[in-house]
Amino acid sequence: MSTPLIELDNIEKHFGPVIALNGVSVSVNAGECHCLLGDNGAGKSTFIKTMSGVHKPTGGRILVEGKEVKFDSPRDAMEAGIATVYQDLAMIPLMSVTRNFWMGREPQKRFGPFKFFDFATANEVTMSEMARMGIHLRSADQAVGTLSGGERQTVAISRAVYFGAKVLILDEPTSALGVRQTSNVLATIDKVRKKGIGVVFITHNVRHAMAVGDRFTVLNRGKTLGTAARGDIKAEELQEMMAGGQDLAELEGSLGGTV
Amino acid sequence: MKKIVMTMAAAAVAFSGLTAPAFADGERFVLVSHAPDSDSWWNTIKNSIAVAGDQMGVEVEYRNPPTGDLADMARIIEQASASNPDGIIATIADYDVLSGPLSDAVAKGIPVITINSGTEEQSKKIGALMHVGQPEYDAGKGAGEKAKAAGVTNFLCVNHYITNPASVERCQGYADAIGVELGGQMIDSGQDPAEIKSKVMAYLQGHPDTNGILTLGPTSAHPTLAALEETGKSGTIHFGTFDLSSEIASGIKSDVIAFAIDQQPYLQGYLPVVILTNLARYGVVPGNSINSGPGFVTESNIELVEKYAGEYR
Amino acid sequence: MADTTQQAAVPDKDERVREMSPLRKALIRPELGAICGTILVFFFFIAIARDSGMFAPEGIVNWGTVSAQFAIIAVGACLLMIAGEFDLSVGSMIGFSGIIIALMTVQWGYPTWFAIIVAFMLAMAIGALNGYLVIKTGLPSFIVTLAFLYILRGLTIFISIATTRKTIIGGVREVSEGDPLAGLFGGKVLSGVFVWLADLGIVGKFVAGPRAGQPVVDGVPMLMVWALALIIFGHILLTRTRFGNWIFAAGGDTQAARYVGVPVNRVKILMFMFSAMCATVFATCQVMEFGSAAADRGLLKEFEAIISVVIGGALLTGGYGSVVGAALGALIFGVVQQGLFFAGVESSLFRVFLGVILLLAVILNTYIRRMITGER
Repeated sequence: MSTPLIELDNIEKHFGPVIALNGVSVSVNAGECHCLLGDNGAGKSTFIKTMSGVHKPTGGRILVEGKEVKFDSPRDAMEAGIATVYQDLAMIPLMSVTRNFWMGREPQKRFGPFKFFDFATANEVTMSEMARMGIHLRSADQAVGTLSGGERQTVAISRAVYFGAKVLILDEPTSALGVRQTSNVLATIDKVRKKGIGVVFITHNVRHAMAVGDRFTVLNRGKTLGTAARGDIKAEELQEMMAGGQDLAELEGSLGGTV
Repeated sequence: MKKIVMTMAAAAVAFSGLTAPAFADGERFVLVSHAPDSDSWWNTIKNSIAVAGDQMGVEVEYRNPPTGDLADMARIIEQASASNPDGIIATIADYDVLSGPLSDAVAKGIPVITINSGTEEQSKKIGALMHVGQPEYDAGKGAGEKAKAAGVTNFLCVNHYITNPASVERCQGYADAIGVELGGQMIDSGQDPAEIKSKVMAYLQGHPDTNGILTLGPTSAHPTLAALEETGKSGTIHFGTFDLSSEIASGIKSDVIAFAIDQQPYLQGYLPVVILTNLARYGVVPGNSINSGPGFVTESNIELVEKYAGEYR
Repeated sequence: MADTTQQAAVPDKDERVREMSPLRKALIRPELGAICGTILVFFFFIAIARDSGMFAPEGIVNWGTVSAQFAIIAVGACLLMIAGEFDLSVGSMIGFSGIIIALMTVQWGYPTWFAIIVAFMLAMAIGALNGYLVIKTGLPSFIVTLAFLYILRGLTIFISIATTRKTIIGGVREVSEGDPLAGLFGGKVLSGVFVWLADLGIVGKFVAGPRAGQPVVDGVPMLMVWALALIIFGHILLTRTRFGNWIFAAGGDTQAARYVGVPVNRVKILMFMFSAMCATVFATCQVMEFGSAAADRGLLKEFEAIISVVIGGALLTGGYGSVVGAALGALIFGVVQQGLFFAGVESSLFRVFLGVILLLAVILNTYIRRMITGER
């Protein structure tokens, strides 16, 4: 097997006396969708923030393509090809799709001594990138606020892909979406994976994970409960591991397996 | 959206009704003061121009910069002269700022009379017909001389309009008459009554040897009266003030206030309107400036004054 | 077969997105409210004050100058507000910069150009300090700049009283005679055109005094030139450059902007400096025109700037707005303020009128903004 795109080895993160992560190991290969499952408070957020350079780990190693790295800021992680799409911080609804898409990396065109935002190029690229993901915009200068939640996620994902992400971290992209929008986002994840990009898909919904995941890692109380490949594990088992014990299994029994 | 446009149109119509008097018959004069909206003293002048307007059959508009910003006042004078009135009456609150717009108005052929703030000399330089007012420094000095005779050695000058040079002149004249250098005794009290009151109380607490107070108008006099009342010092400190109001009048009657310097603002509003009307109609105009004050109001002549205090006096 | 049906089921365009006509699209923009307001205000005053001299050259220069004053500070306030911050110290900054220039020239005898440069540097340094404090403390800029509103005003009165015993310092005009920078702020341009217009009888002439025979309007004040220059600069910066995108991003969502690498802190601090610079342009023009500075200049101007910006369609919470809108807001403000005088309306009603306009503009703007951004 080739070197993983990114490998996090035995990561620990303490906030004062609180131990948020206590030895978490995850690796992501090119073209795979690695699902990170866990209940609220399991340490998912802390973990992805460590992976994307927001937090510095208290212990453990981060390896990018086999070489150990230290991220001092989100910018470092981005330069290493690790892009994060946050659940709620993805887009600025008041701004146009183009302005959002290019935010921080605006293309420029010289005009004498002055440099201007090259809207012609920017709009064109935005439209075609969005079309590639299956979203047809009315125009590139429509505000992101006019898009649905799923479309916003897709804009954020295609933005990350366009700017050369090798690893894409998706923080609960489906948690606030309806059925149809969820399947659109899952389809987008599939398209991204097929481009050879490694996807880290954070969710607490086992069915969403089973739909696109290649490997599954379950976090509970700041620890990895193990990683399983697709086909080696059943949805019920994942569910049980997330809940961390017997209680939910009993509850599930009484609810008729609907949780 | 249509609804909103309709509402705006309705508001516009409502307002146009209020503007009709602007085009009544008779001469039109504009009086531009420097006083912020909050200054109640100018009511007397507003009343006087209303009386003069009625008597003469002319229309007099009153204008002032809402916050007392003199640069805004300059714009108002420019505006007034652009509207081609038959005469402009204005204060010279700051010669540097206002001389330009006022002399432009004169150059346009609009008769200008200056009132209240400013000096006769400045008025002449602008090219105004005359100045109707009270020489501020001399008035302050007159007050200071009375205070000195009453034995005042340490004083407080409550300045509620410190950014008007005339107000500093008053304090300066008072200080010079007593023979002390003007410094920390002049406090910048601001316009808020509660603030003025507490500032006066704080000053008197910090300077217990203060035996004289000068206030520059009702705005500072009323809270100062309240401050003296509250600290139990009413009547123990020699208290002189500029200008009159009903509270000041009763203060004089009850011996809390020794005297009020009356610049007789009624004349500052009334006379210019009469003079400008006569100039417009018959081409006659007095040859000299007019001193509307100072007159001193004390217990001996208060009866007469009190009846009209705050309205015409 | 299954594939083809799938293809057909996905139409080229989302059937739920209504097509917009090009006209509607051209109309629905942040400035729309301000454009409507401007048209309405002009109709109103043409209807009631046509014969009052308001639309004679002299009258136009009068309300034009007042509007230009508002516009200068509104451009700064607009960009800062879009970047998500307020500056309530604008009015105090106007007083402060003016006094600095007057003190340095009249009192201490420095050349005017030097005093102007020092005033700009001081003001921008204080602007940077405002921004730095907002960012470092994480306090709302409302509070931090409110503190500076008092600090600067108090300091201004103190230094002018302490050095000259007066709060008005005059004589700047005399010491600035022939100074290269003084003319740039206090002068007038296109004087020749107005002499020509006066000869044609379009502009009136003075009839008395030393200036008899000269046109009553003898040029376009530099104040207007500055206003125009700042509006154009602000508009291009905001809508046509990378930095403009960062201004929107910084105000729209600070965190989201940071995550994609927008230097939010730098953008905000620069906008605070720009706002302070606009206030100093205002102050310098005023000092050079009137020849004096006063410690109480610029009182409440910060609110007038903010009102212009809000009439112009900007969102108080940042991330949305338009410089052109703010400039139109300033125009509305100036025309209404001076126009009511021309119309002979009791001047105390000015505030009533202003409040009504502000309210209507904000309601209209909210409606337009929802159409554009899909807010609910």
